Amino acid sequence: MTDVALIVDDSAVNRQLLARHLASIGIDAREAGDGKAALAALGEADGQIGVVLLDVVMPEMDGYETLAAIKADESLRNLPVIMISGVDELDSVVRCIRLGATDYLPKPFNPTILAARVRASLAEKRMRDLEAEHAARQAELLETIERQKEELSRFLSPQVAALVATPEGQALLAGHRREATAVFCDLRGFTAFSDQAEPEEVLGLLREYHAAMGALIIEHGGTLEHFAGDGMMVFFNDPVPQPDHVERAVRMAVAMREMFGGMAAKWARLGFELGLGVGIATGYATLGRIGFEGRYDYGMVGTAVIIASRLSSAAEANQILLNPRAHAAVDQLVEVVEVGDLTLKGFARPVPTVNVVALRELAAAATTA
Amino acid sequence: MTDQIPVLDRAVLAELRESVGGDEEFIVDLAATYVAEGGDHIAQMQVAASAGDAAAIVRPAHTLKSSSAALGAMRLSEIARGIEMAGRAGDSAGLVQLVADARATWDETLRDMATEGLTQ
Repeated sequence: MTDVALIVDDSAVNRQLLARHLASIGIDAREAGDGKAALAALGEADGQIGVVLLDVVMPEMDGYETLAAIKADESLRNLPVIMISGVDELDSVVRCIRLGATDYLPKPFNPTILAARVRASLAEKRMRDLEAEHAARQAELLETIERQKEELSRFLSPQVAALVATPEGQALLAGHRREATAVFCDLRGFTAFSDQAEPEEVLGLLREYHAAMGALIIEHGGTLEHFAGDGMMVFFNDPVPQPDHVERAVRMAVAMREMFGGMAAKWARLGFELGLGVGIATGYATLGRIGFEGRYDYGMVGTAVIIASRLSSAAEANQILLNPRAHAAVDQLVEVVEVGDLTLKGFARPVPTVNVVALRELAAAATTA
Repeated sequence: MTDQIPVLDRAVLAELRESVGGDEEFIVDLAATYVAEGGDHIAQMQVAASAGDAAAIVRPAHTLKSSSAALGAMRLSEIARGIEMAGRAGDSAGLVQLVADARATWDETLRDMATEGLTQ
């Protein structure tokens, strides 16, 4: 792209001479006879002008006013302005440089000095433009990252969202093994309900249920793996280690059962029988990023997950079923009723299962630590 | 005192010619521009001087000073400088005489330029 300079001088002789000198170094010149014409030319040029050569004494709008107007305009601020001045006008040059002029060009014009100053100013302009462009791109990028993080945290559990933003997160996302507790819950009677109720009622109930359960998951520090209609899977002890992960899982399940009791009573008055069934299992599992390009979940894979899922399916309304390992960890904390050895699909040996009836007194729980 | 200064300084003219690579056509063109706008400046100064308007004389005097110097018309440039200074000082007393000097020097300048082959 050819460099373009704007010559602002009320003397046609000076304009003609400057244009000629600029042409000899490959710079196109536009001309203005006063400040007003200069501002109009800058507006029309739409950023094509790379440097302004500005005379001080002019009719209509003099060099000072023109310079001030250029510096006050956001889109022109970075445009270099070289003052044209006679040797007896050095005072006004100093004043202009204080006002933001880049340099000055003495009259009579020396083509070598003119070329050097104009080229230096054009180079500076290109540099400033690049900087501005870079800063704008940087700001845009930061904004995008912030927006994506915000967007992401709406889809991810808070723990995973925080993890994504840290360097250690990369390693954890890649996959690791650790003991964890999986909690599955879904609703008894939901299929019948969704069959009979109006779609608005079904969605209304799910919204209320998700909002209430979501709050309890967060309160107990659970990592929500997914919602699927009336079902949800939550796990504990990952990605943030929780020494009391089983206790958290059980306390959350009990709180969910209580919370859901209130909601179910309301729906019961409308003739819908709904109950919460929960399965909890503790065991070693693989945790990390699961899925495919474009759609990943932070997930837990292992026998404990399958057992928790099967227990949740086996649970009757308001039952919270534990596998032996989970039960052993919270033995002192809970009142249970033995459900017996359950034969779960996919498992050769039956699983001895208990149902949590209630939490013991907190005081009693403290002694188990 | 301005009598010591050449009406047309050949050294300045030579430098100007050299700076444009000896492009005589351009020099003639530039001289035509000078003659046209210089005539205007002289006329504006005459109006301002006869009205005793010191402020109004500054700009044409300033521009004439500058364009005259560009073409080597150094005596006129110096006279114009004096007029500009008087105008800036608000001193309107001597303006009529100064502008008359400028007018006379302008004519001399045009004659010398023609001799030099700068004007037809």
